[in-house]
Amino acid sequence: MTISNATVPRARRFSLRSRETPLDLTTRIAVVLVVLILGVLIVLPLVNILSSAVSEQGLAVFNSIFSSVNLQVLQNTVVLGVLVGAIGTVIGFLLAYVQVRLDFRGKKLLHLLALLPIVSPPFAVATAVITLFGRSGIITRDLLGITPTLYGLPGLTIVLSLSFFPAAYMNMLGLMRSLDPSLDEAAASIGANKWRTFVTVTLPMLVPGFASSFLLLFVEAIADLANPLVIGGDFTVLSSRAYIAITGEYNVGAGAAYSLVLLLPGLLVFLIQRYWATRKSVVSVTGKPAGRPAVITSIPARIVLLTLSGLLALLIVTIYATVIVGGFVKILGINNEFDLSHYRYVLSGIGSDAMITTTALALIATPIAGVLGLVIAWLITRKLRRGRALIDFLGMLGLAVPGTVLGIGYALTFNKPLGFGNVAILPALAGGGAVLGGAIAIVMVYVIRSSPSGQRSGVAALQQIDVAIDEASASLGASGVTTFRKVTLPLIRPALLSGLIYAFARSMTTLSPIIFITTPQTKIMTSQILSEVDAGRFGNAFAYCTILIVIVMSVIGLLNLFVRDSSVPKAAGLSSATIN
Amino acid sequence: MSLALLMSGCAVTSTDSGDDGSTGSDELGGSITIACGAMEDWCQAMTTAFTAETGVQANFVRLSSGETVARLDAARDNPEFDVWHGGPVDGFGAARDAGLLEAYDSPNAAAIPDKYKDADHYWTGVYVGALGFCSNTKVLDELGVDVPESWEDLLDPKLKGQISTAHPSPSGTAFTTLWTQVTRLGGEEEGLEYMKKMHNNVLQYSKSGTAPGQIAGRGEVAVGLVFSHDCVKYQEEGLTDLTVSFPKEGTGYEIGGVALVKGSKNKTAAQAYIDWTLTAEAQNIGPTVGSYQVLTNPDAAVDDRMVKLEDVEFVDYDFVAAAAAKPGLTARFDAEIAAQPKE
Repeated sequence: MTISNATVPRARRFSLRSRETPLDLTTRIAVVLVVLILGVLIVLPLVNILSSAVSEQGLAVFNSIFSSVNLQVLQNTVVLGVLVGAIGTVIGFLLAYVQVRLDFRGKKLLHLLALLPIVSPPFAVATAVITLFGRSGIITRDLLGITPTLYGLPGLTIVLSLSFFPAAYMNMLGLMRSLDPSLDEAAASIGANKWRTFVTVTLPMLVPGFASSFLLLFVEAIADLANPLVIGGDFTVLSSRAYIAITGEYNVGAGAAYSLVLLLPGLLVFLIQRYWATRKSVVSVTGKPAGRPAVITSIPARIVLLTLSGLLALLIVTIYATVIVGGFVKILGINNEFDLSHYRYVLSGIGSDAMITTTALALIATPIAGVLGLVIAWLITRKLRRGRALIDFLGMLGLAVPGTVLGIGYALTFNKPLGFGNVAILPALAGGGAVLGGAIAIVMVYVIRSSPSGQRSGVAALQQIDVAIDEASASLGASGVTTFRKVTLPLIRPALLSGLIYAFARSMTTLSPIIFITTPQTKIMTSQILSEVDAGRFGNAFAYCTILIVIVMSVIGLLNLFVRDSSVPKAAGLSSATIN
Repeated sequence: MSLALLMSGCAVTSTDSGDDGSTGSDELGGSITIACGAMEDWCQAMTTAFTAETGVQANFVRLSSGETVARLDAARDNPEFDVWHGGPVDGFGAARDAGLLEAYDSPNAAAIPDKYKDADHYWTGVYVGALGFCSNTKVLDELGVDVPESWEDLLDPKLKGQISTAHPSPSGTAFTTLWTQVTRLGGEEEGLEYMKKMHNNVLQYSKSGTAPGQIAGRGEVAVGLVFSHDCVKYQEEGLTDLTVSFPKEGTGYEIGGVALVKGSKNKTAAQAYIDWTLTAEAQNIGPTVGSYQVLTNPDAAVDDRMVKLEDVEFVDYDFVAAAAAKPGLTARFDAEIAAQPKE
C-alpha cells in the first residue's frame, strides 16, 4: 500500500486510534477466517506436496537440478514466462487504452472481443491456431503456401499470449477508468503536449497495473500445462516436466520437487512486483475521477492505435470463427462438409451432464472467490500492518502454484478424512469415494485458483483510493464494516466486477488441477475437452468450446446486470459513468 | 426386473456366496467406478451396456496409464476406482508392483488364451493391438518418401521433423515403441541409441499415445507411431489420407487389460464387471464404436478392419520385464533424449 507524503501522519494517527475501537475486532475475525480458509485451501495441500518433495525421489531431483538438462528446462520456463508476460501486457494495455481514450464505432464489440479469450477453455486457441497456422494450416498452407513449424517456443508464445492477455486487459481497463483525468488536464494546462502527458503523467499512474498484469501473465504462462503438452514440441518447461514425472514416472516426489522449483520464479517476480509497484505508485487523491478521460483526437495516433487493435481483433475473430465453424463441419480444413454429429455427440449423455455440473460448481465458487479475494485485498491495503505481506503472499499462492501440483496436493490431502490423531475434522472431500462425489474439492480448487485475481484487482483499485476517504467516513462515526460497505465497495465496484467475471471464467476454463480430482460422478467440461483433443476429435472439442463460451458469456452478462443493479444508489451515477 | 431378481437372490444365497470375504456387499447393486484407458466413446459404450445388463451403475473416468497409476497411488487409502479397464498392461504391471491391484481369477478368464493373462491373475487381457506406422500419403508424396516399411526408414533425413510419437512417460503406446526397440536391438543402450537417432526426425513428443495418429492425419507430420487400430479409427472418422504399415524387422504389441483395484468398496460388482468384459458379447461392443482392436475372447466377432496378427512380424515382447524396467527407462529417455537439442 502506498500513501502520499501528506497523508502519512494522519494515517498513522488513525491506525493508532482504531486499535482501541471495536472495529479492530471485525478485522481480527476477518484475519482469523482468512488465515483459516487459506490454510485449508492452499497451505495444507502444499505441505503434503512438500513432504513428498523431501522424500528420497524428490531429493534426487534437487541434487540434479543444476544438470544441464534441468537448467535448460528452467531457462525455457523463464523465457516463456517473460515473453508471454511482456507481450500479453502490451496487448492488454493497447486494447484498454483504445477502449478508454478513443471514440470509434464498434468500441463495445472490441471490448467483447478482448474478453473472448478469457472464456475460452485451454486448447481452444491452440487447436484453432494449429488448424489455421500449422504446417497444414488453412491460412499458412492453403492460402500462403508456407509450412511453418509452430511447435515449441513460437507457438507457445503466440497461443499463451492470446489466451492470457485479457487478464492484463481487464486489469488495465479497471485501473485506467478509475484514473483522475484532471491530472492529465493539469499537465496539459501547464503546457505539456499529449505525448509528454502520456509519458510523465499517465504511464506512472499505470505502473501498478503494468506490474500486476505482468505478474499475472508470467505466473499463468509458466504454470500452464495444457498448451505445452499440445503445442510445446521439444520445448520442455517445468510444468510439463513435473507432469511427466508425476503421471509418467509415477514419481510424485520428483514432480513435487520440480514444482517447488517452478514456484521460485513465480515468487521472485511477485516480490519484485511488490517492491516496484510500492515505490512508484501514484494515488489519485479524490479516489474517483470527476469526469470522463479526454478523448484522443490526433489523427496519426488514432490511425496507429486503431490499426493495431483492428489487426488484433481480426486475429481473435478468425480464431474463434475457426472454433465455431469447426464444430459444424466434419473435419475443418480437410473435409468441410456441414455436419451436426459433433453437437449430437456433445449434447447427449456425458456432455450435457458435464455442462450442468461444471456451471453449477463454478457458480458456487465464484461469489466465494470474489468475496475472499476482496476481503484479502481490503485487509492488506487498509487494515493490516504486521503480517500484511504474509496474507498477501498466501492469497496469491493459489495462482502461483502450478495447477498440476495443486491437483496432486488436493488428491493427497482430501482423498481421506482429515483429522488430528483419531479426531476427524473433515470427511474425505476429493475423489470418487468422497461426499457429494468429490464436488466439494473441485469447488475448493475453483475458489483458490480464482480468488487471487479478485485480490489483485482489488489491491490495484484500493491503491488508487486515498485512505483519507476511509478516514472521513470513520470520523463521521461509521464503523469499519460500514465504511467498507458504503464507501470503499462502491468505489472499487469495477474491480470487484472484473474479479468476479474473471473468477467465474477461470473456474469454467481451469484444467490442470482438475485432471487429478475429477470423478466419474462429477464430470468437468475442460477435462472432457482434453479427452476429445487427445483423441484427435477436434470437431467435438470445438463444439464443447463453443458451448462453454456461450455459457460463460451468458453468465458474465447476468453478472454485469446484477452487480450494477445492487449498487448503492448514491454512487450509481458516478460508477455507471466509469463502467461504460 | 433383473434388479429384483438379484435382490431376492441375495437374501437366499448370501451364505454360499460370502466366500470372497467381503461381507455385506454381496448383492449385485450399487455403483462401481472404472478408470478407463481406452477411447472415450469405447468407455462410454462399455459402461452403458454393463449398466443395462446388470443394473449396477457403472461410471468411468478416461485416464492415460500414467495418470491412472498416479491417482491410484494418491488415493491408496480410500480408492475412488473399483476397476481399471483398457490401456497397455505395462502400466498394470507397474500398478501391481506398487501394490495397487488385487489378484482376481475370473471364471470367464478360462476362455482367454494364457498369453493374454497375468500368471498371478492381477490382470486379464481384453484386447490386443499392434504397433504400426500411421502415415499421411499426401505428405509423404510431397516429400518424395515411400510409405515406411522398416524402423530404419524412419531415420531418413528427408523425414526431419516429420515424425510424431508420444512421450513414453505418460503414454503406454510410446513406451511400447521404446520397449520394442530395446527388445529388437537386444538391450537398453541399443534401444536408446536408436531413439536418439530418430529424435532428429521427431517433431514433438505428445502426451497422448493416440495423438500422433491425428497429427499425421491432419498433415502436420508424415508419420505417426501408434497402435494400428487407432490409425484405422482416424481413417474412419474422416482423416482419409492415412495408411497403416508395419516394420518388417518386427513390431511391438499391447495387451489391453482389465484389473481389480485393491480396496474396492463394491468388490462383488467390480468382479462382475471384470467377468463381463471377458465375454464375447462385451468385447463385440468395441467395433460398434470404431475401436478395431483384436479381441482376446476367441468367440468374439472378427472384423475386416482389425489387424491380422498372423500377417505382422512381432518382437518377443516381455510384459513383466517391460513393467519392471519402465520407471528407470522412461527417466533415462527423458534426460538423455527428449530434452536434447536436435542436430
